[in-house]
Amino acid sequence: MVNDSGQLYTMEGVAAGIIMLLTVYIVISTTSIYTAGDTHIPDMQLEQLGSDVLAMMDTPNAKDLKSDLEVFVNTGNSTDFESTFLNYCNTRTSGATDELHMSANVTYRDGNDIKERQFVAPDDSWTGRESAVRVTRWVQLPSANPYGGVRVRAVLVEVLLWRA
Amino acid sequence: MSLDFLVGFTIFMLALIMVVSMVPGLLAGLESSGIDYDAVAYRTGVILVEDPGWPVYPPWEMNDEDHKDEIERIGLAVSKDTPNILLSTKVNVFFNDSFFDPRDYRSKVIFGDIPYSYNFSFRSEDGTYDKKTGTPLPPGHGYIRRVVKIKEPGVAVIDDRFRSQYTIPDPLDPRWNSIARNFTVQLNFSQLLNQSVGPAYRIDPRTEPVTVSINVSQYLNSTCINATLHDVAFWKMDPTRPSPRFTRIPFSYAEEDPDFYTLHIDGTSNECLYSLEPGARVNESITLVLKPAATSQFTLDQNSILEIRFNFKDDPPHTNITGIHHYDYNVTNVTLPDLKPGVLEVTIW
Repeated sequence: MVNDSGQLYTMEGVAAGIIMLLTVYIVISTTSIYTAGDTHIPDMQLEQLGSDVLAMMDTPNAKDLKSDLEVFVNTGNSTDFESTFLNYCNTRTSGATDELHMSANVTYRDGNDIKERQFVAPDDSWTGRESAVRVTRWVQLPSANPYGGVRVRAVLVEVLLWRA
Repeated sequence: MSLDFLVGFTIFMLALIMVVSMVPGLLAGLESSGIDYDAVAYRTGVILVEDPGWPVYPPWEMNDEDHKDEIERIGLAVSKDTPNILLSTKVNVFFNDSFFDPRDYRSKVIFGDIPYSYNFSFRSEDGTYDKKTGTPLPPGHGYIRRVVKIKEPGVAVIDDRFRSQYTIPDPLDPRWNSIARNFTVQLNFSQLLNQSVGPAYRIDPRTEPVTVSINVSQYLNSTCINATLHDVAFWKMDPTRPSPRFTRIPFSYAEEDPDFYTLHIDGTSNECLYSLEPGARVNESITLVLKPAATSQFTLDQNSILEIRFNFKDDPPHTNITGIHHYDYNVTNVTLPDLKPGVLEVTIW
């Protein structure tokens, strides 16, 4: 038999259920979820930009010239490499320039070993928690190069790019 | 079954139905409004920067207003093998708002069934190019930025550097007793289109204008202050044919047409614009720009040789200019501008 206390329990249960469902609804609707589908877009844009910059730095401005990238890497001119890269990266058609930062490494083969040299150190904006992207390009260097080669060789230039 | 249970269950079901009906609204908060626009902007950027457009030859940018519908796709790259290297002639036509309208941009570059709004902008590092088309940007748009280089056409400047080379050494010699003086600029297509030169550095008169500037004042006789340019004519030869010889190309020489060529005498203003049969006195300089639309009418192939012949006539001659100037990859003969870095921004919403 059902008595008064049973009715109260029922009403309490119903009320609690409604409150729970409403709470879940409010919590979900007020929380913005950054989906995996969103995160790749800024990454893709940065990767594309970085790849473009390396490609353009590796394109000589005239027929019989060497590319800036080849000259900078072969002469170890990290200062001009950094300034040229960031200039290309941060330039916009109008308004303020972008706020991109970078570091770079050069990976090369030394005998049977694969070695890596830091080419451009990260600046103070680097904390290690940035959502950085990595872009790479093989660069063909002449026989006289600072990476221990006695013949024409390719080295891998890796650039980490992030927005501060 | 008790009445209490029925009431309680009914209320619960009503609450559940209410919540379930809110589910589409719940998920609406999870969908990203930027994904579609960013993807479209990326795709549009790729088409513009990595594709030469269609048709390729004759290139789409040569189509005039009447043949605009023949353009199927607009791309700015020099060729499909040179992504990110843009051709200046394509860039200039692309940003010409009076030639393309929003419908063209949507159907030939952006594509898709949705009538997207757009904003394209291009700026070279040195500021020579600062172009923009489209409407102001709202918040929440798709965006891509591409770093590019722009290729510009070469210019042959015949100035005092060539005076000893192109001046008749002994005008009194009987073989120079004619009142006419002829100076030729020769374009050997087999040299120009040689595959050993990459498309990014190639001189291709079929896609880029040929500019010849003659500083006539450096070639006047000492007693004269001007010379009469009688006419400019185009001749061609195909060495692969039997008994090859130069033939005069039929062309509307007497008709001024800036779509095909411009001939300026002593200045760059519209008053200095002439047809190819000017019969005008030249004090300082002659500048001829032969545009790809004209070159395409000359039915030239990669073995042809094109000659641009400048004919001066005075009695007695006022200039002793003569010779053949080769429009080729020799940096002394033709000044080829370096590739210029720039930035192309595509915004879609």
